[in-house]
Amino acid sequence: MTAGISGYNSYVPRLRIKKEDYAKAWGSFQAAGVSEKAVMSFDEDALTAASRVSKRALESVPMAPAKVTRFAFASTTAPYLEKLLSGTVLVNVGMPNSAFTTDHTTSTRAGTEALVSGIEHVKASPGGVAVVATADAPRASMWDPLEHPMGAGAAGFVLSSENLIAEVEGYASFAMEHFGERFKPAGEGTLQDLNVKKFFASAFTTCTTKACASLLKKLGTKPEDYAHVVIQQPDAKTPGSVAGKLMFNDAQMASGLVSVNLGDLGAASTTVGLVAALDAAKVGDRIIMISYGSGAGSDAVSLKVVSDRKPVPSFKDQLEKKEYIDYIQYVKLKGALK
Amino acid sequence: MAHVSVPMYWRTIPQRYQMMGQKCKKCGAVNFPPKGVCKYCNASSEFEELQLSGKGKVHTFVLIGAGGAPPEFADQMKAGGSYPVAIVELAEGPKVIGQMTDVNPKDVKMGMPVKAELKKIYTEEGVIRYGFKFAPDLEGK
Amino acid sequence: MRRVAIVGAGQSKYGEFPEKGIKELFFEAYKDMASSVDKNFDPKQIESAYVGNLGSGGFQLGNMSALVAEYVGLPYIHTVRVENACASGGYALVAAVMDVMSGAHKMVLAGGVEKMTDVSGMKQKYWLGVSGDTEYERLAGTTFAGLYALIAHRHMHEFGTKREHLSMVAVKNHKNGAQNPKAQFQREIQLEQAMKAPIVAYPLNLFDCCSTTDGASSLLVCDAEVAKQFTDTPIYITGFGTSSDYLAIHDRINTVTLEGTKRASQHAYKMAGLTAKDIQLAEVHDCFTIAELLAYEDLGFCEKGKAGQFIEEGHTKIDGDKPVNASGGLKSKGHPIGSTGTGQAYEMFNQLRGTVQKPIRQVKGIEKGLVHNVGGSGGTVSVSIMER
Repeated sequence: MTAGISGYNSYVPRLRIKKEDYAKAWGSFQAAGVSEKAVMSFDEDALTAASRVSKRALESVPMAPAKVTRFAFASTTAPYLEKLLSGTVLVNVGMPNSAFTTDHTTSTRAGTEALVSGIEHVKASPGGVAVVATADAPRASMWDPLEHPMGAGAAGFVLSSENLIAEVEGYASFAMEHFGERFKPAGEGTLQDLNVKKFFASAFTTCTTKACASLLKKLGTKPEDYAHVVIQQPDAKTPGSVAGKLMFNDAQMASGLVSVNLGDLGAASTTVGLVAALDAAKVGDRIIMISYGSGAGSDAVSLKVVSDRKPVPSFKDQLEKKEYIDYIQYVKLKGALK
Repeated sequence: MAHVSVPMYWRTIPQRYQMMGQKCKKCGAVNFPPKGVCKYCNASSEFEELQLSGKGKVHTFVLIGAGGAPPEFADQMKAGGSYPVAIVELAEGPKVIGQMTDVNPKDVKMGMPVKAELKKIYTEEGVIRYGFKFAPDLEGK
Repeated sequence: MRRVAIVGAGQSKYGEFPEKGIKELFFEAYKDMASSVDKNFDPKQIESAYVGNLGSGGFQLGNMSALVAEYVGLPYIHTVRVENACASGGYALVAAVMDVMSGAHKMVLAGGVEKMTDVSGMKQKYWLGVSGDTEYERLAGTTFAGLYALIAHRHMHEFGTKREHLSMVAVKNHKNGAQNPKAQFQREIQLEQAMKAPIVAYPLNLFDCCSTTDGASSLLVCDAEVAKQFTDTPIYITGFGTSSDYLAIHDRINTVTLEGTKRASQHAYKMAGLTAKDIQLAEVHDCFTIAELLAYEDLGFCEKGKAGQFIEEGHTKIDGDKPVNASGGLKSKGHPIGSTGTGQAYEMFNQLRGTVQKPIRQVKGIEKGLVHNVGGSGGTVSVSIMER
């Protein structure tokens, strides 16, 4: 059965901080290619952002929340370590209590985990409708340069077999054992990273290229068939280094490189990138998204655009609606002074 | 000291998360938040549930400054500074109080179109209290 | 029904008194009341006591009326703690009046006491906060300053009321309060100073807000038939009215009217056979400057929306044709929540008898006065008319 995206949209918080403010505070800004990043306000978190994008995605179809049969939430910064998270969004949006809900929270791959699980639901259940909400505002210690690229954003999708904007052609995964990169041990609140850069870069490359290659092989597509390529963006430079190995060029990467303006969006990195690419795409365009989560694994998803219906507000409009804060305000909002 | 207990908060989830109103079966007016007896006709306690749009216009507002915030909002004041609170006249008729969000306080105006969004109200006893706040309704312009 | 008179009235100083609790404060007011009775005061004649109180200093909420009564030597009588937030005192007076009117008791004490400075600023806000609508107003992040600011802003928007008009209330009341030895803030302020004070809840600033404080007051209420046994100049309660309103402002049809004030005063005028025009002095509830402006309109002293002009024209100054808050009001006197209503009646008792401590604020030759006490943002209101 054909399954794909019937509606989508993103949420970009209005607050931004510029790289210059980081440089002023710390002497340097260690987030390659990122010029500014989005910041959640005091009254926001992954769940409020997930609610926002779920509603926006449903409105873009438009589809009544009562028709939803599956809801998947993804984030690495869930407000609780133990407690069902999806219920908050389910009730706020007005989706039925009987919908099967899942929370995907343990790596930055969570966004595509949720997306793929939603597609699998639609394929397996005739008439099924899945809402996928990915929202993240990754955080680390303010003393750790790892914190520099961390931004905030969310993307939501309505998946079904009708009224499609983009058809999901296929997906492939690659998972392996790996450690020491971006991890949060049980009982410790702070993100850690052993900073063995080359070693971690090899895991990123292995997972993304293997998942991508296996998908291209499965579909019989070639790199040049894709008008838009979205690869996990821990900063704005890393995805480019992998793209070269996969024979993708900068032009293919341009539409979905959201980290330049928003920073690392964690579990929402490739999904917000996908929203940006969908906004820019023409009917007939192919899009490939390749996520990465430390630990480690990747999902690659191939889509084909079949309608030029675009949601409001557009990703670009949201990008332009912003208000800058300085580093002191940033630290206060992030709660680091508590 | 909890100001609103967890069970008390939970009982109002239909209002805080979904803006579920009551339409009076006798006079047709919409009550929100809910009443035992319709506040418009004062003559009926028969209602049907009505999902409100969450859209409305600012009827009046205040900018809460330092010293004007209740203790449970002190952290918000410290982190984000002065915050606006409005009484909003909802599209369906009733007025309701709520904080303004996603807006620079100086941009809040009488009559501006707003829309309810789920936000964190505050955290107490380790439990995040979510509920509606009003954001500028850009499409409503 | 029986006619009712007040034959004695007392008040403690208002302010911060670390050495006194609710018992000691109440006793101070009680002794002041006892000494004000011109002849034949015998505590044994007091059969009943109504004590206005909100937070009891945060420690003796249950049965506090028995505690303060026995402390001042009044055990074994009918006692009730009356709680209607900031209108507790006004309602305690009305309860005492109704008690006497009914014939149940001949000699009744109406008083109020509050201890606000024993606890942290956070706890004070807690006690005040729980008197508003806790489910919606409080959860929107407002205290009473925020709620009155919502009303003030709408009043300014609808009627063109100016920032200056709010500050004029503060300036006028501080001028009167400077002459009140029992007021917390016995000093005058300038208009510019009042307008430039730090913002608490825009459009209201620090000088638009009264201070919640410590204090007590006490009135001796009796059957008019026996009043002359105690004094040659009793003050009669000729009318009273109370009215509740929707607790949360957003539930009210009209944001800029305290319907409770309108209805309570209409009842009181009707009962006394008077109109707003007949009132020669009013002590009104100015917890925030906007509240006094609302009172001018809702008590019928001026038309709705014209309060700004009314204060600007000077009608409510002590030498104006409709003096308001000769005592300095809550603004300058301080606002010991449960005591405020009976404290207003204490001032009116002395004004009508010509026995104000510092005669400079004595309004001369008046016979008819009104006291107006508001709970919260108007959820409860009491109005009493006092005549010589």
